[in-house]
Amino acid sequence: MFHQTPLKTGAVLLLATAAVVYAFTTGFFGLELLTEVAILAIVAIALDLVAGYGGMVSLCHGALYGVGAYAFASATVLLGWGGGAGMAMAVAGGGAFAWLIGAVSARTHGIFFIMATLAFGQMAYAYFFDSPLFGGSDGMPGIARLDLSGAGLDLNDSRGYALFCTVLALLAYALAATLLRSGFGRTLVGIRANEPRMRALGLPVWRHKAAAFGTSGALAGLAGALAAQHTMYVSPGLLHWTVSGELLIMVILGGLGTLVGAVLGAGVLVFVKHEVARFTDHWHMVVGLVLIATVLSGGRGIFGQIEFLWGRRGARRPEPAATEGSPDHA
Amino acid sequence: MTADASFWIVQTLNALQLSMLLFLLSVGLTVIFGLLHFVNLAHGSLYALGAFVGVSASAFAGSYWAAFAVAPVAVALVGIVLYVALIRRMRNAGPMNQVLVTFGLIFVFLDLFRLGWGDIPLGMAEPDLFSGRTEFLGIVYPTYRLFIIGLGLVVLAALSLLLSRTQLGAIVRAGVDNGDMAACLGINVERVFFVVFCLGCALAGLAGAVAAPVLSVTTDMGTAILIPTLVVVVIGGLGSLRGAIAGSLLIGFVQTFGAVLAPQAAAVAVYALLAVVLILRPAGLFPARG
Repeated sequence: MFHQTPLKTGAVLLLATAAVVYAFTTGFFGLELLTEVAILAIVAIALDLVAGYGGMVSLCHGALYGVGAYAFASATVLLGWGGGAGMAMAVAGGGAFAWLIGAVSARTHGIFFIMATLAFGQMAYAYFFDSPLFGGSDGMPGIARLDLSGAGLDLNDSRGYALFCTVLALLAYALAATLLRSGFGRTLVGIRANEPRMRALGLPVWRHKAAAFGTSGALAGLAGALAAQHTMYVSPGLLHWTVSGELLIMVILGGLGTLVGAVLGAGVLVFVKHEVARFTDHWHMVVGLVLIATVLSGGRGIFGQIEFLWGRRGARRPEPAATEGSPDHA
Repeated sequence: MTADASFWIVQTLNALQLSMLLFLLSVGLTVIFGLLHFVNLAHGSLYALGAFVGVSASAFAGSYWAAFAVAPVAVALVGIVLYVALIRRMRNAGPMNQVLVTFGLIFVFLDLFRLGWGDIPLGMAEPDLFSGRTEFLGIVYPTYRLFIIGLGLVVLAALSLLLSRTQLGAIVRAGVDNGDMAACLGINVERVFFVVFCLGCALAGLAGAVAAPVLSVTTDMGTAILIPTLVVVVIGGLGSLRGAIAGSLLIGFVQTFGAVLAPQAAAVAVYALLAVVLILRPAGLFPARG
């Protein structure tokens, strides 16, 4: 079950402070990285929401992210809508597509659920790859960023945009945490723990699963809209299943079912990728080996391990500690 | 064009050839899953490894048949290493951890291929015995592709006999049906798992070596074939030989005829098919367990 523990609050504040300090001390390249981290953190939070708390391991979040990006691109470029309407379109598009996937796949479990999400994700990938309307395999260029000059913000400045994305990532975390603390979030965790019992209690399980997946997709869609504005270009590559795989890597690396871990994992993966790329262009191997090592070492991930050690520290004290440290990943 | 009989014959042969390639890959994947309950996303990488080893072997020995012989053995040896180092301890780790570890393996293999063979696509010559073209039924068709179809059918027949007529086959079927009960009856299930895993890897390597002369050998050929193979396995039903046959034929034909008749819809059609099967029959068309 999700608790916004002092440890979590502290970690989020620390990460947010680090991001802001980094934004004001680094150069153009660092700001690009920070923006990437903030955007991927939103998708990773979305993925952790369903995978870590709902037990629905998805291999289609890359596709949801891409659908959001394409929704923003087509609303602003093809339909000529404003940036705000485009963002709304991306959230709605990602959410609707994800709700559909969740509703259809809710009956399947384990590896079949993973395969079903993979199939739907690849379906979207194949569609955008072949569609002349959306530029096919060439993608769509010429995407403008949101105009917030009325509020005194210039998003075409890379520092402004990096901070904008960081704030949205924080809001995404707050939204996910609030959701998980609500009755809906408790129900979701209950379904993960014992689905037949929840059904026996009279709960329409599929409706909750679909709603959770849809919410997650809406967040992924928002991140997609930010990514489209970041690079000012969208391509079908965003939807490919390997992107979903990398998102899962982020979540597991940071700690599945911890929410903070998702953010941490996004940051670690992006920075490790770029640091390793400076020495060798074989970053795939490094990431692959780190991933294998993480899973073999118990699969708690960075923040999961921190929480585990923190929980043990508390357990040594005389009063009984909360047994929250080891979420069941199976 | 489409009214012409030779068009249909040629496309049917193309579809069969793709189906047989998919069959060689999916049969290993599906039996490994059925027995070990293990999802091996790196199966496509083993196929690519077979192709790379095949290219090197045939260049070294100057003959296609060197590739044909060496690739399955080499890939099976790599499979043994993987089994001992990783797969044995991941068996009870749940589908997500298995997916993640084998996804990590895909990344590792990708860079190993780049280190070993470079980024430039490689080619491989057809064997002299099956080079050139064959004329029959009023069409002209590359002989080597007929060889692929024939080989697929031979492997299919051999596996059916192995599974239905031999003791090993009976043990494998018992293991898929109920592994615990098979173990209780005194069968060394662990050893059967190991043999089946090696056989699956060898077939993936064989598929790589056989595909190398037809497709160009690239570092991402493994990830490219992985998804259609998974689709075949899930449509057919995890762990079932009949499912692998049916799924391979279905996907081979849908993909080939889709590509020539409705190029716009072809790519989506395969996934839509998978989605429909998962909704209507979540365990696949021919589930291994009653």
